[in-house]
Amino acid sequence: MRPELGDLTDAQKSKNAKLSEAEAIDRAKQGDAGAFEALYHLHKRRVYSLCLRMTSNTAAAEDLTQEAFLQLFRKIGTFRGESAFSTWLHRMAVNVVLMQLRKKGLPVIPLEETLEADDESPKKEPGAEDIRLAGSIDRLQLKLAIQNLPPGYRTVFLLHDVEGYEHNEIAAMVGCSIGNSKSQLHKARMKLRELLKTNRAEKATRS
Amino acid sequence: MYRKQVVLVATVLVLGAVLASGQTRKELRYKVHRRATISIMNPYGPIFVKPNPNKEIVIIAILHSDKVEIDPNQRGSRIDVVSHLLAGADPDSGRVDYELLVPVDANVTLHSTTGPLHAERLRGDVIMEGNTANVDVRDLTEGHVHIRTLNGPVTLTNISDGHVEVTSVSGNVALKSVNGPFVQVSSTSGMISYDGDFGGGGEYSLMTHTGDILATAPSYASIEVVARSEQGKVENDFLLEPGHSSFVARAGSAFAGTINKAASSVKLLSFSGKIHLKKRQN
Amino acid sequence: MTCDEFGRVLPELEGGHNLEQRAHLRVCPSCSELVAELEAISREARFLGLEDEGEPSPRVWNSIEIALRQEGLVREPLTTAVVPFPRNVGRRLTWLIPAFSALLLILGLLVYQNGGRRQLAESRASGVPAQPASVPSVDEQQLVELVATGTPSLRAEFESDLKAVDGYVRDAEESVRSHPNDEIAQQYLMNAYEQKAMVYEMALNRSVP
Repeated sequence: MRPELGDLTDAQKSKNAKLSEAEAIDRAKQGDAGAFEALYHLHKRRVYSLCLRMTSNTAAAEDLTQEAFLQLFRKIGTFRGESAFSTWLHRMAVNVVLMQLRKKGLPVIPLEETLEADDESPKKEPGAEDIRLAGSIDRLQLKLAIQNLPPGYRTVFLLHDVEGYEHNEIAAMVGCSIGNSKSQLHKARMKLRELLKTNRAEKATRS
Repeated sequence: MYRKQVVLVATVLVLGAVLASGQTRKELRYKVHRRATISIMNPYGPIFVKPNPNKEIVIIAILHSDKVEIDPNQRGSRIDVVSHLLAGADPDSGRVDYELLVPVDANVTLHSTTGPLHAERLRGDVIMEGNTANVDVRDLTEGHVHIRTLNGPVTLTNISDGHVEVTSVSGNVALKSVNGPFVQVSSTSGMISYDGDFGGGGEYSLMTHTGDILATAPSYASIEVVARSEQGKVENDFLLEPGHSSFVARAGSAFAGTINKAASSVKLLSFSGKIHLKKRQN
Repeated sequence: MTCDEFGRVLPELEGGHNLEQRAHLRVCPSCSELVAELEAISREARFLGLEDEGEPSPRVWNSIEIALRQEGLVREPLTTAVVPFPRNVGRRLTWLIPAFSALLLILGLLVYQNGGRRQLAESRASGVPAQPASVPSVDEQQLVELVATGTPSLRAEFESDLKAVDGYVRDAEESVRSHPNDEIAQQYLMNAYEQKAMVYEMALNRSVP
């Protein structure tokens, strides 16, 4: 009988976990229902978290999670192990989300490189104290600010700064140029900076 | 010039009529930032909400007597207004008629016993609660819509891309062109009617106790449907592909299956009412 | 290099600056501050990627499993019935009863504060009311009186609403008793409780000053 996980050392647990995933992949290729379920439970949180960050909508995130895993399981026979399984799954989930955004007609990456006109940022009064961000960014405020980004900006910011994709990967996934990806990322960061400063200025006024 | 004179005279006449009847008109304006929140608590009287292209919330309130006062509060971009009933107020003397102009991305919350409640052409979240209020929401995108009513009829028209939740006890609920990732309507005895595409790959749930459910969809609808009535009849105009499930379909009282690519999930459940999934005639 | 020129090339820079750009940053506090703030946003964002946003509801796996079997990707016979609705609804049902009882308890306490009888609130809090729908329970009667005191015009409607939702709860409970494994029957019961809770809540909103 296999020992319970709790009885093993960390190194043994790690080795077992890797074997488990590899075993599960092999068995899933044979159509083993339990293997599909095991792979799902192993990776569901990460995929769901990604979908939720990109859509800010729990129902949509669940639907996309479902679709991502279905696509994965349909193609699992083609997985050869050239990359980590989780990387492969992650990329598939991103593509599913991007496809959904396109279906809804939302701009994945804006074609027009124009900044949104925004007259609501606090105007700098002469002698007024500057609102500084560096070194003290509130993560919750950043999360809320990301949700308030236009969809195109939000997508590239999430893919690059949050999920860690490179511009060449983003360009390939969304079908734009590397220059466009860099430009939109910069604009997204500038917009976030503005939103965070506005929020901080409002709090300073209220207190 | 002539037109301005006409408008001026009309305004004076209206104001005169208002003042002569003992009514008071109040106008409030608030500068706000993005995603402002406006909440109105008004026991008696209608509330109409329309979009304002400017980043400003405008509140026009007609107070029907001196037995009611309005109590506004602003904290940043959050505006709360409460109609405060004074001693001796009743549904007539305590009535306040509200008209709101809000930025399209504002989140709106309305409470009224009698209503009616109306909101249109917004992108923010809309929450409405009314006892007997007639609720009418139209042309909303992206925002979530939450409606609670005991007896008032609810009509939602052209709503997309947000969550929609409607809970009614006996008020009828009519959904026309409502699509989104999540649409849920539940009622005890009210009738639920849906006329739309069931689109967007969403999850649609229409559930009642004794009310009837009439769902009308086009031939190109792409849905996985489950329908069941414990004691009532069910009818279906579509040819369904059998779905794989442990769902028990008792003849005459239930059906389940898929249409086209089954992108959306649809549940039609009535304990003792009738259910009809109707194919729209083009 | 001017600030405008630096701003134009900034999107192309990924943490690396050439000599000219570094020289400009040394002498220009606003560009330097801008770069520092943008880098701080980027650094903080990376932590968001590591955060766990939770997990999907059980219905997601259920839907996946159904689809896998439908598409023939699973090649072993079913050993358990595939349920199209979330599993463990029975477990969900268990917390609903004390949650609804808690709601009744809160109602009872409010009734007591307004001159109601304490022993009624405690006895009702122990279980779901089982009286026929045509005869409202005593605490429901007191709730209607409370509503009538605050808003007399709504009395008849509240009475009718309570009667309707009580009937719903009764039918749904009977259905679950007869078919305890029926997921739809359990959904009806949850919906019935939610409807009743909404009626109570809206009644209390109208009656409690």
